[in-house]
Amino acid sequence: MSFGQSLYLAFRSLWWFRGRAVTVVLCLALTIWLPLTVRLLLNQFREQIVQRADSTPLIVGTLGSQIDLALHALYFDTVAPQQTSMAETRYIDETGFALAIPIHVSYRTQSVNNQDGAPIVGTTLDYFEFRHLQLASGTGMAILGDCALGAAVAERLQLGPGDHVLSAPKNAFNLAGDYPLRMNVVGVLKAAHSPDDNAVFIDVKTAWVIDGIGHGHQGLTHEDKQLLLEADDNSVTASAAVLPYTEITEDNLASFHFHGDPDTFPISAVIAVPPARKEQTLLLGRYATDRAETALCVKPTQVVEDLLSIVFRVEQLIWISSLLSGLVTALLLGLVIMLSVRLRAKEIQTMNKLGCSRFTVLKLLGTEIGLLAVLAVALATTAAWATSLVAADSLRSLMF
Amino acid sequence: MISTSELKFSYPHSDFHLVIDQLTVAAGCATAVVGPSGSGKTTLLHLLAGILTPDAGQIVVGDTPVHSLSEAARRQFRLKQVGLVFQDFELIEYLNVLDNVLLPCRIGHLSLDTATRQRADVLLERVGLSGHRRKSVTRLSQGERQRVAICRALLSQPPLLLADEPTGNLDPETSAHIMRLLLETVKEAGATLVMVTHDHSLLQQFDRTVDFAQFLSKDAPLAGELA
Repeated sequence: MSFGQSLYLAFRSLWWFRGRAVTVVLCLALTIWLPLTVRLLLNQFREQIVQRADSTPLIVGTLGSQIDLALHALYFDTVAPQQTSMAETRYIDETGFALAIPIHVSYRTQSVNNQDGAPIVGTTLDYFEFRHLQLASGTGMAILGDCALGAAVAERLQLGPGDHVLSAPKNAFNLAGDYPLRMNVVGVLKAAHSPDDNAVFIDVKTAWVIDGIGHGHQGLTHEDKQLLLEADDNSVTASAAVLPYTEITEDNLASFHFHGDPDTFPISAVIAVPPARKEQTLLLGRYATDRAETALCVKPTQVVEDLLSIVFRVEQLIWISSLLSGLVTALLLGLVIMLSVRLRAKEIQTMNKLGCSRFTVLKLLGTEIGLLAVLAVALATTAAWATSLVAADSLRSLMF
Repeated sequence: MISTSELKFSYPHSDFHLVIDQLTVAAGCATAVVGPSGSGKTTLLHLLAGILTPDAGQIVVGDTPVHSLSEAARRQFRLKQVGLVFQDFELIEYLNVLDNVLLPCRIGHLSLDTATRQRADVLLERVGLSGHRRKSVTRLSQGERQRVAICRALLSQPPLLLADEPTGNLDPETSAHIMRLLLETVKEAGATLVMVTHDHSLLQQFDRTVDFAQFLSKDAPLAGELA
C-alpha cells in the first residue's frame, strides 16, 4: 500500500471515529503543551529578566530584601520596599563614582475605560537617557504635573498627548492621606519591549506632590480671616477650608512649593550608573563599609542569578511532574490503541482475507497514530506559541 | 478449473479434521456447497482462497498451485485471482460505497487508475447502486450492502469467486435478487463460482452441488470427506 493510500484510509478512519480521535489528540496535545509552554515561558522570562538586570549596573536602597529592592527598581510593579531618601542620591553624587537616578514608585494611575491603571514612576530626565527611551509623540516632561506614558500604557488606556491621567490614592478610606493628582500627558514613549512600556513617568517632584510633601493652594493674606487660624509676621496657619490644588496648571504652577529638607524627601531606590568597572567597585566598597548599617547596594545581575536558581529548581519540579504525566498518558494511549485494535479486529481480519499483509495493517494503524501525533504536536506547538505571546509578562507578575 | 487431491487440514488444539480425497470444479461452473454447520464448508473456501494452508495435499486453481505458495504469493493470488463474498458482508464502515469497492486496490498495490474506477462505476451501476457511490455503507440496507460486497469481489475481474453464505442474513426476496445478480454477473464475467449455502431452495440455480453431509466420518464427527 502506497503512503498516499495509507494516508487516505487513515484519514477516513480518523474522520469516522472523530470523537475518539479528538479526545486522543487533546490528551496528547495537553501533555505536550504543558512542559513546552513552561519551557518557552521560562526561557522568555529568563531572557527578559537577565537583559533588564544586565542593563542596570547598581541599585541602592534601604536595608532589607535584595530581591525585593532589585525587582522593585527594575519592574516597578512589586510592593515597594521600605523607602529611602534623596540623601542617598546626594551621597552617590558626592562620591563622584556614579550617576544617581532616583526612582519613586508608590502609586498607580486610576483605571481608565475599564482598564487597570499603571505604575507611576517618579524619576529624573537622566532615566530616559540611561534606558535609551525615546518619544514616539508629544514632548518630554517640562513642568510639574507633566507625564510621559509608556507605549503599552498609551495603547491600553487609549491616551495620548493632551489627555489627562489621575493618580489613585493608596487608601480610599484615609481622608487625611494623599489626594489624587490630575496629570497632563505630554508625550508617549516608543516601545522599548521592557517594563518601561507599562509605566507612567513623572518627575520625582511631581511624585512628592502626590505624596503631599509638595502642594499648591490659593494665596493667603492676613485679611483672609475665615481661612486663617493663626498668623504672625513669620508664619501663617491655614484652616481646613484652604483646599490644595489637585491639578497643576500654568496658572497655579507658581503656587506649588515643598515643605521640609529635600534630603529627607522619600524615594524607593536609586539606580547608580558608574562610568566604568573601577568606579562600580569603589561604590560597592563604600556601601559595604561606610553605609553598611543604613543602606544596601546590590548588583541586579547577581540578584537575578540567585532568583533564577530558584526558578530552575521550580522548573525541574515541573519537568518531573510533566514527565510522570507524560508517562501516564503514554500508558493510557497504549491501552486505547490496544482496545481500538481489538474493537477493529473484524476489520483487520477482513483486510487480511482480502489480501492485505500484516505489515500493511500495521502501516495503516501506524499512519493513524502518526496523524494523531502530528495533529497533537501541531496543536500543542501552536497553543504553546500563542500562550507564550500573551502570558510572558503575566508569568513574571505572577511569580513576583 | 479447481482441483484438489488428498487434501488434509486440521485446526490446532481442535478435534476438527477435514479430509478431501479429490474435488474438481470445472472453469465457469457454478457450484453450491451444502452441509451441516461445522462440517468444513467455510474451511474449504479458505483453503481454496489461500487464507489457510493445508496440512497435506494439493490445491490447484487454474495453473496456480495454491498449496505451495508463500504467504506473500497467496496474498497476491487472493487479490488478483479470487473474489470473496462473506455472509456478513465485511464492509469497512468508515469508507463510503465506492471506497469499499476500491478497497482491494488501495490495500494491495493494485493499480487505481481511471480504468479501475470506471470498472467500479460500471459494477455499481450493474447492481443498481450508482446513485449511492458517496454514501456511507452504514446507511445502506442489508441487500444493498451485499451488492457492494459483490462489486468489491468482482473489481479485479477474478476467474474464481468464493461466496460464503452470501444470502444467509437476507430475507427471501432480497436473497433471491442477490442470488440472481451473483449468478448473472459471474456468468457474464465467465468466472467460476463456489458458494456455500444452507438454503436448499437455491440449489437448482447451480450447475453442481457438493453435499458435505454424506461424507461425514464417523470417527471424526466434524470431518468432510469428498471423493
